[in-house]
Amino acid sequence: MRTFWDFVKADIQITVRNRQALFWTFFFPVLLMFLLGVVFGQSGSFTTKLAIVNDDRGPMSTAMVAVFGSVDALKVTAVSSEPGALKSLRNGDYAAVLVLPAGLEQRFGKGSSALPFYYDNSSLAQAGTVTMVTQQVVNGFAQKASGSQPKFELRSRGIASSSFNYISFLVPGVVAMALMTNGIYGVSGTFVAYRQRGVLRRLKATPMPLPSFVGSRVLVHLLLALMQAGLVIAVGVGLFHVHMAAGPTLARMALLALIGSGSFVAIGFFIAAVSKNVETSAALGQVVGTPMMFLSGIFFPMNNAPVWIQPIVKAMPLYYLANAMRDVMIKGFALWAVRWDIMILLVVTAVFLVLSVRFFRWE
Amino acid sequence: MSESVRAATVGEPVIRVEGLTKRYGELVAVDGLSLAVERGEIFGILGPNGAGKTTTLEMIEGLRKPDGGAVSVDGLAVWPEPREVKRRIGVQLQATALFDYQRLHEIIYVFGSCYGIHRGRDECAALLARVGLGDKIEAFVNELSGGQAQRLSIALALVNDPVVTFLDEPTTGLDPRARRALWEVIGEINRDGTTVVLTTHYMEEAERLCDRVAVMDRGRMMALDVPRTLITQLGAEATVRFDLSDRVPADELCGLDGATACRAVDEGYEVVADDAQRTVVSLLDFARARGLRVAHLDVRGADLEDVFLSMTGRKLSDEGEEAAAGVAAKKRRRFGFGGSR
Repeated sequence: MRTFWDFVKADIQITVRNRQALFWTFFFPVLLMFLLGVVFGQSGSFTTKLAIVNDDRGPMSTAMVAVFGSVDALKVTAVSSEPGALKSLRNGDYAAVLVLPAGLEQRFGKGSSALPFYYDNSSLAQAGTVTMVTQQVVNGFAQKASGSQPKFELRSRGIASSSFNYISFLVPGVVAMALMTNGIYGVSGTFVAYRQRGVLRRLKATPMPLPSFVGSRVLVHLLLALMQAGLVIAVGVGLFHVHMAAGPTLARMALLALIGSGSFVAIGFFIAAVSKNVETSAALGQVVGTPMMFLSGIFFPMNNAPVWIQPIVKAMPLYYLANAMRDVMIKGFALWAVRWDIMILLVVTAVFLVLSVRFFRWE
Repeated sequence: MSESVRAATVGEPVIRVEGLTKRYGELVAVDGLSLAVERGEIFGILGPNGAGKTTTLEMIEGLRKPDGGAVSVDGLAVWPEPREVKRRIGVQLQATALFDYQRLHEIIYVFGSCYGIHRGRDECAALLARVGLGDKIEAFVNELSGGQAQRLSIALALVNDPVVTFLDEPTTGLDPRARRALWEVIGEINRDGTTVVLTTHYMEEAERLCDRVAVMDRGRMMALDVPRTLITQLGAEATVRFDLSDRVPADELCGLDGATACRAVDEGYEVVADDAQRTVVSLLDFARARGLRVAHLDVRGADLEDVFLSMTGRKLSDEGEEAAAGVAAKKRRRFGFGGSR
């Protein structure tokens, strides 16, 4: 056991003394988050989603829905019931809900023109945009219909949702991504180098069992993963005011970080096992890591992506880790609520560990 | 291991190899090798690249499973479970790179820890001093020269106070000065009571360092004896080389006392003699009688190179091969370590 801790200590020294690698390990995810946060964070670059509840279904309201549908900045969804729409709004599915009450045309004629309008006030920039656009569309419509003063008025109400702005979306994803890259590249690279340079063979000449050595590396790696996750979250909360759900969120995130990191370490070991040299392992790491980075919904939500790509998305372990982390960190889900994501990650870990052992070589 | 056990086994060979065989597909790398290494000696395995030296060593060290035969070290069978033997032996592999970002004394400590030995810093420093790295304890591996890196790997082969230590081509790729310095270190280690088994393809190394030498070629043992005896058995005692101030027919030189063969080479002549002293005296008389001057007189004793040549018909260390091996060793060493996170 003491040998194990001696190797843990040596591994920590090796990690900490490699200043350059250490710097990038921690700095890269922060830099990435910072850039994306600055570029997209405030503007909300996505199409704003507006739900319209048409209780009127008269010619006027139908025409109005059609006008909304033609506005580029909006993605309009027709929803049948107001309570249902509001529930979705609270979940963050829509930026706003506009209700067209029954008898719209009659009321319009009588001059009563209030339209219930609910917006998600968790992102002020987005709330401002969607309110403004909706107001403009309604005004334009009223003007055309009556040829006079605008008579529709939005009866606006802000609703706090569990939805999140872009940076809130981004932070848990970047945490997951950092764990992925570090797990895959870090483990495979170092291990193949150790094999290629004969270190594994030299260790095999001692009576120390291999699991001590591998175990110490994994432990140090997981420690690093926790620190990395902590740093990204700290920067997200401190610098970008990312809303973190109440409750034992940090503890849940730590556990997810360990589980997720375990999966990627296992994949890293597998890559190390099947790679002849450092160059191969780096290339294989890219082949596995790059699609995962872009197709797991780290930077953009994948439910907007084409249908044919969805099965690929669902095949990415990172997708499940990012999802689980988002649900836990932003929406405050308990771990039980993300148990399927966790299950999938554990299965990935088990499968790749078995494969790694199967293909392991000393030299 | 306790003193009493050690005492009880004195006189027994420390390593016994019987009928050791290893095949790689069609190739028989080691072919029914048998030998015994005595306690306290420096035992050399001499042979060209590809003779099976390293494979033999690795089967004794418990790193490579033999296809046939038996090996025991310190009275213990190496196979099927080599862990106990690994505890008692020290191993230096060809060109092992180590962890970057670890200081020499830290590497000594962590490798000691692999054997359950937890040295203090001073003890680590003392071990490094034994191989002449006493002033490098705070250095990192990538700051070492080739010779120093080899010394470190020898220190690691001593880290568990082994009964026997194995050095696989310890001086390959080193310049002559570093090589001689390393011989000193290996001699010291042996004088301190450790049995040393080393492989080499430098016959000078085997002659200077080893108590006994096994000559290997193509997986088989060609001879096993004290270097001097191997050379004496060869018969031809020496080669006398010289220039003369004027050309004479080479055949006339075969008439010199003790000459067994003679020929003209480049500017001068070579005479193979079974008694160099008589031949040289006779040569000087020969020259005086004809008014010739003898220049660049050189008497070279037969060496293991000649032994190997006469037994296999092949040269032991082909220059090109050796140069290539040197370059490869340098290349391996140039790798840094651990920078791939």
